[in-house]
Amino acid sequence: MPKRKVIHREKPKEKFSYDPKKVLSKLEEYGRSVLEAIKSGKNPYFDIPMRGLNNVYFDEKSRLIKMGDKLSRRYFLNVAHARKFMQTLLIMAYVKRLVSEGKHASLREAYYANKHTIPGTRENTFEDQRESDPIIEDLERMLGVLREEMHITADRRGYIYGDIVIRDGEDEFNASKLGSGGWAVPGTVEHIQFPEINVDYALVVETAAMADRLIEEKFPKKENALIIATQGQASRGVRRLIHRLHYEEGLPIIVFTDGDPYGWYIYSTIKQGSINLAYLSDKLATPEARFVGMTMDDIKRYGLENVTEKLKGIPPNKKGGPTGDYKRILEEMEYPWFQNREWQRQLKLALKWGVRIEQQALANKSLEFVAKEYLPEKINNGDLLP
Amino acid sequence: MAEASQLFKEFKIQSVSEFFRRNAAMLGYTGKVRSLTTLVHEAVTNSLDACEEAGIPPYIRVEIEELGREHYKVVVEDNGPGIPEKYITHVFGKMLAGTKAHRNIQSRGQQGIGISGAVMFAQITSGKATRVITSTGDEIIEAWVKIDVDKNEGKIVKKERHPNPDGWHGTRIELEVKNVKYMRSKQGVYWYLKLTAIANPHAHIELIEPDGRLIVFPRSSEEVPEPPVEMKPHPKGVLTDDVYRMAKKTKRQSVRRFLIGEFSRISDKKVDELVEYIAALRLIKTVEDKKVQEQLYERLMKGEVKAVLRSFRGYTKVVKQVAKMMEKPPEKLTWHEAEEIVEAFKYMKFLAPPTHGLRPIGEENIEKGLKGILKPEFVTAVTRPPKVYSGGIPFQVEVGLAYGGEIPSGFELLRYANRVPLLFDAGSCVTTQAARSIDWKRYKVDDLDRTPLVLMINVVSVHVPYTGTGKQSIASVDEIYNEIRLAIMDAARRLQTYLSGKHRRLYQVKRKKTFEKYVPEIARALSVLTGEPEEKIREYFLNFIESHFASKEAVEVSENA
Repeated sequence: MPKRKVIHREKPKEKFSYDPKKVLSKLEEYGRSVLEAIKSGKNPYFDIPMRGLNNVYFDEKSRLIKMGDKLSRRYFLNVAHARKFMQTLLIMAYVKRLVSEGKHASLREAYYANKHTIPGTRENTFEDQRESDPIIEDLERMLGVLREEMHITADRRGYIYGDIVIRDGEDEFNASKLGSGGWAVPGTVEHIQFPEINVDYALVVETAAMADRLIEEKFPKKENALIIATQGQASRGVRRLIHRLHYEEGLPIIVFTDGDPYGWYIYSTIKQGSINLAYLSDKLATPEARFVGMTMDDIKRYGLENVTEKLKGIPPNKKGGPTGDYKRILEEMEYPWFQNREWQRQLKLALKWGVRIEQQALANKSLEFVAKEYLPEKINNGDLLP
Repeated sequence: MAEASQLFKEFKIQSVSEFFRRNAAMLGYTGKVRSLTTLVHEAVTNSLDACEEAGIPPYIRVEIEELGREHYKVVVEDNGPGIPEKYITHVFGKMLAGTKAHRNIQSRGQQGIGISGAVMFAQITSGKATRVITSTGDEIIEAWVKIDVDKNEGKIVKKERHPNPDGWHGTRIELEVKNVKYMRSKQGVYWYLKLTAIANPHAHIELIEPDGRLIVFPRSSEEVPEPPVEMKPHPKGVLTDDVYRMAKKTKRQSVRRFLIGEFSRISDKKVDELVEYIAALRLIKTVEDKKVQEQLYERLMKGEVKAVLRSFRGYTKVVKQVAKMMEKPPEKLTWHEAEEIVEAFKYMKFLAPPTHGLRPIGEENIEKGLKGILKPEFVTAVTRPPKVYSGGIPFQVEVGLAYGGEIPSGFELLRYANRVPLLFDAGSCVTTQAARSIDWKRYKVDDLDRTPLVLMINVVSVHVPYTGTGKQSIASVDEIYNEIRLAIMDAARRLQTYLSGKHRRLYQVKRKKTFEKYVPEIARALSVLTGEPEEKIREYFLNFIESHFASKEAVEVSENA
């Protein structure tokens, strides 16, 4: 028996809960309320939780970016609202059809499917995808369901590799037996189920190159880890997958990004959610995620001074500053979830040295260094940032 | 001797035509287009006045016939009371006697010298006599009238009588003129008659143009305005010449009685006061120190006449002298004394002059006139209460505003003085200045030059202060300027209300459509969501929109009521 590792699978906190009927009943409920209003001679409306920064707050207790309770009321009989009211109903009907037929559509498909000329006018129901996308977001907030639950998928990006069994519709397969490319995460992961999980934790990796390196070095097998490559900012599908793996399967989440403000921001959205999608933080964010690197301390500890790069932009003490990376770091220092000693130290060091460090800079030591020394050492020692 | 008298006669002929030529500008006979307009104006004015005095709704027909190059026959016919035979020469011939210049009466005829001027003009350009056909209801008189320059009076060169079985009454005059030109410009006959028709909605006016085209400006009001009454002059509005001339003519026994009887707002007590003021003025003039003199004038202006008098030793003697002047027969009043009286008037206070002599067109009639002739979609009029300028001359301002309908795009200002259209010198006219000073944007008229808007301004007064001898432009007197502005703003506010109502209605229709067009889409979607038939849902929504806008309209109606 190998000794019990610091990082191991925990007890699940949530159960697989996807139920298409919930979305359908909510849609019908809204439809009926509009009909009731119009029948009794009242101006029908929808209450839609407001978007934007002034309806977003950081909830200390759940440590999530959450949506406030500000509502905007969208009336039928209001010149400024009527068009959007019509569009909302159009998308609602469309979603009902999608969900009840078990079909998925992309945002763009949803746009084209509902775009047509209104009879007797030269006006289109939707002139632009920029009109339909916000309506779908509105519905997410209104109904409290994910776009994915409404069978509308986002752009897909990211893949996973590791010893877990995935059931996707009629297909069932092990994500470590699909070759070095792993399994590409679809836009919608609501319906995905995990019949078998043989890993201790999930390692979320920013760059595909690093993920590929780890797969080549057999890191997942050796460390009993699931590799999740986000390929830049994590897509909704990936975030939702991370969330589900953590809450439904009890997998600890460890994030591995470049040591620069962008990498830290990727970590921040996985952990806390983003302002744009604050209303979905409950379903997308994973506040328990932890951060393995790259950190500023790694530079000193592993002697990587020669492979750092200069931060972009003007430092705060120079004329015209701060801009670029410097500005970003200063902003991140203000994030509530970075208000701890460890993170403030990293961010301050970055500012002080004016450098950034990429994941792949570890190749400076050797190709296998990251898989054989850096990650196992840090993870097993619990040398992680909150 | 015969030679001398011949010479004298020629001199006389020359002098009358000379007078005419020299005063052509003042009389309105300058320019080929304008001369023709003036000619028609004199005839039409005569007709309108005659009809009004007789209480007959005027029916006036103007016919212009082209006889040759710059050679026309002008015919003006009315349905007035007609002219009794013995007055024909008086009406058409008295060159300088027929003016109302020294009567204190609001009249159309402040222009030129009346119809006799037209007869004279015809005579000196074409050499032809003016043909007059008139009847008071008995037999019809046909007369050819010329002006006898020798005697400065009318002369009938030929006369015929015709039976009048239908009892026709009215007057038709035919003038043959040369050196004039008919043009359909804004200074021409057509425009003049159009403007006249607007200001005289009780008149039916027809015009036959030289090319045979008949233009009718129909009557839009049955109410014939009362003729203006003569008003006694107000002391603040008279000149030395007026006082002197009136004193010579009056039948009153003394200067005191003359002043009380012939002027408004002068009482026995006021004459006593006048005596003191004249005495004071005489005394002040004897003071040598300019500074002291200036102070005394100021005190007098403040009404401290008694104190001023007392500051002179032996002032009672002077007062008695002046008092004596008041008791002498008015015809003995000297020019100097008249001057003293007028000067004293300036320092004294009088009640504002009576305004009953003013004859505005009236809001209702302006609206009728504008509506009848211009066919606008909106019309409003404001008649301001009478006011006084220069301390004693009553005047009144009226404004009419017509918008949209058949009015072409662009702003048009129609200027009138005592209902008479002013066609020339618009730039220097107080009405133009006042109209330009208005911030039209404030009244929902965003682009004045593209708005179909007609503004008419009528300044009514016994003495309209014209800028020049042409009497085509009103001087910029502050009081008049302000009144015009107030009147325009008042009317403009009503236009604004109308326009915003119009905008609102258009907006409501547009709004309603905005909602209605989405109904089929909404119905289809809701049908998918709820399973209710699309047709029914559509009905619910359309009914809802209908009732919403119906109730909105009801609210608006009650607001306007």
